[in-house]
Amino acid sequence: MSIGIRSFARTLALLLSGLAAGAAQAHHSFAMFDNDHQLKLSGTVTDYKWQNPHVYIWLEAPDDKGEMRTWMIECANPGILNRVGWKFNMIKPNDKLTVIVAPLRTGEPGALLKQLKLADGTKFSNGGPAGPPNIPID
Amino acid sequence: MRRPLLLAAPLLAAALIAGHGAFAAQATQAPPKSNAPFDPRGFDGTWDRYPLPTDAQRDPTTVVAPPADIPPPPLKPQFKPDWEAKRKKIAEANARGEPIANDYTACRPDGMPTMMQAMFPMEVVTNKRQMTIIQEAYNQVRRIYFDETLPPIEDAEPGFWGHSSGHWEGDTLVVDTIGIKDYVMFRDVPHSANMRIHERMRMLDANHFENVVTVTDPEYLEKPWTWTWIYQRRPNYKMYEYVCEENHEFADPETGAQRMRIVPPKKD
Repeated sequence: MSIGIRSFARTLALLLSGLAAGAAQAHHSFAMFDNDHQLKLSGTVTDYKWQNPHVYIWLEAPDDKGEMRTWMIECANPGILNRVGWKFNMIKPNDKLTVIVAPLRTGEPGALLKQLKLADGTKFSNGGPAGPPNIPID
Repeated sequence: MRRPLLLAAPLLAAALIAGHGAFAAQATQAPPKSNAPFDPRGFDGTWDRYPLPTDAQRDPTTVVAPPADIPPPPLKPQFKPDWEAKRKKIAEANARGEPIANDYTACRPDGMPTMMQAMFPMEVVTNKRQMTIIQEAYNQVRRIYFDETLPPIEDAEPGFWGHSSGHWEGDTLVVDTIGIKDYVMFRDVPHSANMRIHERMRMLDANHFENVVTVTDPEYLEKPWTWTWIYQRRPNYKMYEYVCEENHEFADPETGAQRMRIVPPKKD
């Protein structure tokens, strides 16, 4: 019975995540990212693109098994990020960053940003549609 | 114990397919009324959809509005099964974590009437000749010419925003739009070249206006399809530019699923 409830809870969560994606009427669904297994990554910025429809950060950081990877991290778009307090020039190559991300379900080194912390400790969200982090950044 | 749970899932799925009915109560709630004096034709300015999804908490980080209380399209019976199947397929693909690529994946803008759902802030600028509505997402622009005679519908060149004519009935701006490309769809609802979009825009108070949208299509719809969007002022907002420059999401050529193209960082 508990399995039934758990599987229902999972179905419900998936349906609600679909609903949230639809509700956002955002550019797309975020379902290709695994929201249930978020990762905390700390590393060095190797590239950064401020552009529509998404801003991207390339971060060289170890994964949860300690293997160094170059992560391509999808952020919201410049308009959303400006509205939540980002500035186009607040990140540059060689900066140290800590991020919470939802990785791609395929296992490729791509991810959706949930939260970001600059070297000086300032924290930023990725805007409403991307959803909040579910693990602490500190 | 399992049975009610199993019953609940299809009901929820049905709500999804029916146009996100779960949010209906939130969307139909009237905005707080302002008693400040206002120009009943004073649509100029920058606007967000009302309510924003977390309006109860007024979370300033949230920018995308929830769906309005939009009924399912009154499609003719011969078109309904295909539409329902498509919506179900999209919901199931999302649930599997393999979303289907859509127009946004290809950097295509909303077009009409989707643009008026105001995914991002929108700006209204009016002069004697026209009302211009600019949607920040995808730099979308529509022009509503006052008292313009629209071309015969068969001569209306199809586009994303079509051809719009507006006139005043009292202080309500009544707008008719024709000429939307057949693949420019709202909620995946098919339409013919004979689709018309009728809008009635009216200021509710100094900080809100409503847009009652009615879509008619003698080929696809049994009856008019109507819903209301409400907008709230976003004072002093300056719109950002939006060129859909380079999307690293793409449609998988084999499965049609949306995927992320991993590219290496640029080398200096």
